[in-house]
Amino acid sequence: MFEVFKKELTELLRDKKTLLFVVVFPIVVFPLLFSVVAFISSQAALDAEQKVNTYAIINGDFAPEFTDKVFYHKSFELYKGDKTFNSVEELKAGVTAGDIDMGIYLPSDAVKTLDDKKQSEWQVVFNDSKSINFLFERVKELAKEYSDTLQESKLLSFGIDKSAQESILKPINVVKVDTADKRENLGEKVGGFLPYLLIPLVLMGATYPAIDLGAGEKERGTLETLLLTPITRTELVLGKFITLLTTSIASTTITVISMGCWIALALAFADLEFIKAAFSTLGISDLLMIFVLLLPIAAIFSALALAISIYARSFKEAQNYMTPLSMVVFFPIIISIMPNMELTAKTAFIPVTNVALAIKEIIKGTVDYTLVGLIFLATALIAGALLAFCVKWFNREDVLFR
Amino acid sequence: MIEVTALKKKFKLTKDHKKNKIDEVDPREDKDFFHSVKNVSFSCAKGEVLGLLGPNGAGKTTTLRMISTALKPDDGSITIAGNDIIKKPLIGRKSIGFLSGSTGLYGRLTVKENIEYFAKLHGMSKQAIKARCEELFTLLDMHKFIDKRAENLSTGMKQKANIARAVVHHPDVVILDEPTTGLDIMTTQTVINFIKGLKAQGTPVIFSTHHLDEVALLCDRVAVINEGVSCFDGTLAEFKQAGNSEELNQAFMNILTEKQDV
Repeated sequence: MFEVFKKELTELLRDKKTLLFVVVFPIVVFPLLFSVVAFISSQAALDAEQKVNTYAIINGDFAPEFTDKVFYHKSFELYKGDKTFNSVEELKAGVTAGDIDMGIYLPSDAVKTLDDKKQSEWQVVFNDSKSINFLFERVKELAKEYSDTLQESKLLSFGIDKSAQESILKPINVVKVDTADKRENLGEKVGGFLPYLLIPLVLMGATYPAIDLGAGEKERGTLETLLLTPITRTELVLGKFITLLTTSIASTTITVISMGCWIALALAFADLEFIKAAFSTLGISDLLMIFVLLLPIAAIFSALALAISIYARSFKEAQNYMTPLSMVVFFPIIISIMPNMELTAKTAFIPVTNVALAIKEIIKGTVDYTLVGLIFLATALIAGALLAFCVKWFNREDVLFR
Repeated sequence: MIEVTALKKKFKLTKDHKKNKIDEVDPREDKDFFHSVKNVSFSCAKGEVLGLLGPNGAGKTTTLRMISTALKPDDGSITIAGNDIIKKPLIGRKSIGFLSGSTGLYGRLTVKENIEYFAKLHGMSKQAIKARCEELFTLLDMHKFIDKRAENLSTGMKQKANIARAVVHHPDVVILDEPTTGLDIMTTQTVINFIKGLKAQGTPVIFSTHHLDEVALLCDRVAVINEGVSCFDGTLAEFKQAGNSEELNQAFMNILTEKQDV
């Protein structure tokens, strides 16, 4: 078994494609990819924040204080073109044509309605399909400021002073007393994301080498010669399985260490308080526990990938089978981030979901160690069963000589 | 001595196979199974070379795969020096050296590493491996390329490395499945010389081939399989006699035709 493991590892380490997937991708490509995505999204948010939007306003004269607030706001610039806007329809056409970014329609009785004890409805016309859009929120904020001023003066005219106004308008004030500490709050946010990164990495670290170790052997014509040596099929499977387990864990570890280095580097040069706070809460014991939980997951993926690979007639066929496997793995991770999904004695038995939930709990610092033990046991049992299936698979002539 | 008696092997037909079937009437096919080998028997004694002949699809490769323990027969027996290798496949694997035209090497390992790997899997000691490798490298004139990766070798070099891999553990019987297919004259000669060497050492050799000139050159015995059934097993002289011709090609054709007529 050790000879098989040693030989498989030597061969894999000499394969440029494997090195690319297991070493280069985790060290360079993934962190680079994440950095680029983070940079582009933050840049897009910054651009949206700083963008000056052209606007047109109809009946602005009926609410001059509000009109002035919009006019002097740094994010808005009054439309100075030749077109005129007299209705909501014309504002819509202006936004669609790109003449203006936003149109504000005030009814002609914008303020007078208050005297008639009615509510006035103002319309903001803009394209809301953009994911990052501050337009509506800004106008709403300005309108609220103006609305509060109107409300205050109206109540004052009724003889209600400022302190009384607050008790009338907001008789009950509900205050949140959060028992979750800083770590729990950050863990809830980051903890859901981490399994998304780690678990597919574990899978990727096993699948590519598995194709080489199973279908690759068939395609190269080396499987038959290997089967004719006096080692048992169990030893053969174990040798290959341990190789995959090694590459899977190695690939994940390399990625995590590499990302850790990149984050440390980023923190040294930029003041990223949120990230600093998020990662300062994690201790070595937490990381070790995550690593331990990933071991049986890696074992499940290694056994599955090996069984699939040995069934395939060729490298290409194995690749085709591995693609749906990647999709299948994402499904239980998605379950783990669904609302109200928590780590319980029941969810501890759902493969992959259990580990994803446990990682989240570990990061939050609220993990139940009994459940972690249960997860490890349940996952290890599944991995063992899959490994036994793999050995059985390797004994079937219709699988080996398809 | 290797004895093969009344071997049988059938394969379950897949849905794809049933769907894509071209021949409407295949005598070896029933509703669910393809009877690849129906009744094959022959023997090969120490120092003998047995030529296994038969048309394409006759069941030669399946038979050799059963002897090499890669496939398990449905019925029949295979014994090597009295050991039933169907019941004890690990003993069989230690006793057999197998080489076919399609067997490959590990491309990213050097020739030396390839051969040492198989020697280790056969449980040989470090010293024994070193001595045996040296012996084979000299015998097959391989010293120039033993440190080259197998993926960078020429076809001839690959076949030499394959031969060394197949016999590194001093097998009691050597099985060769169409070992000269696709090889140039020089490499074919290497294989022929290798078989002659084995014969001289007293190692029984079974080899399947379509080249009857190689049979004439090397074989003491001939076994013919057609449609999964043995239709001849005897010496080369008996083969010519049974086929009513001194020409091996003609004798072979006559034996096949005679059996089909029967």
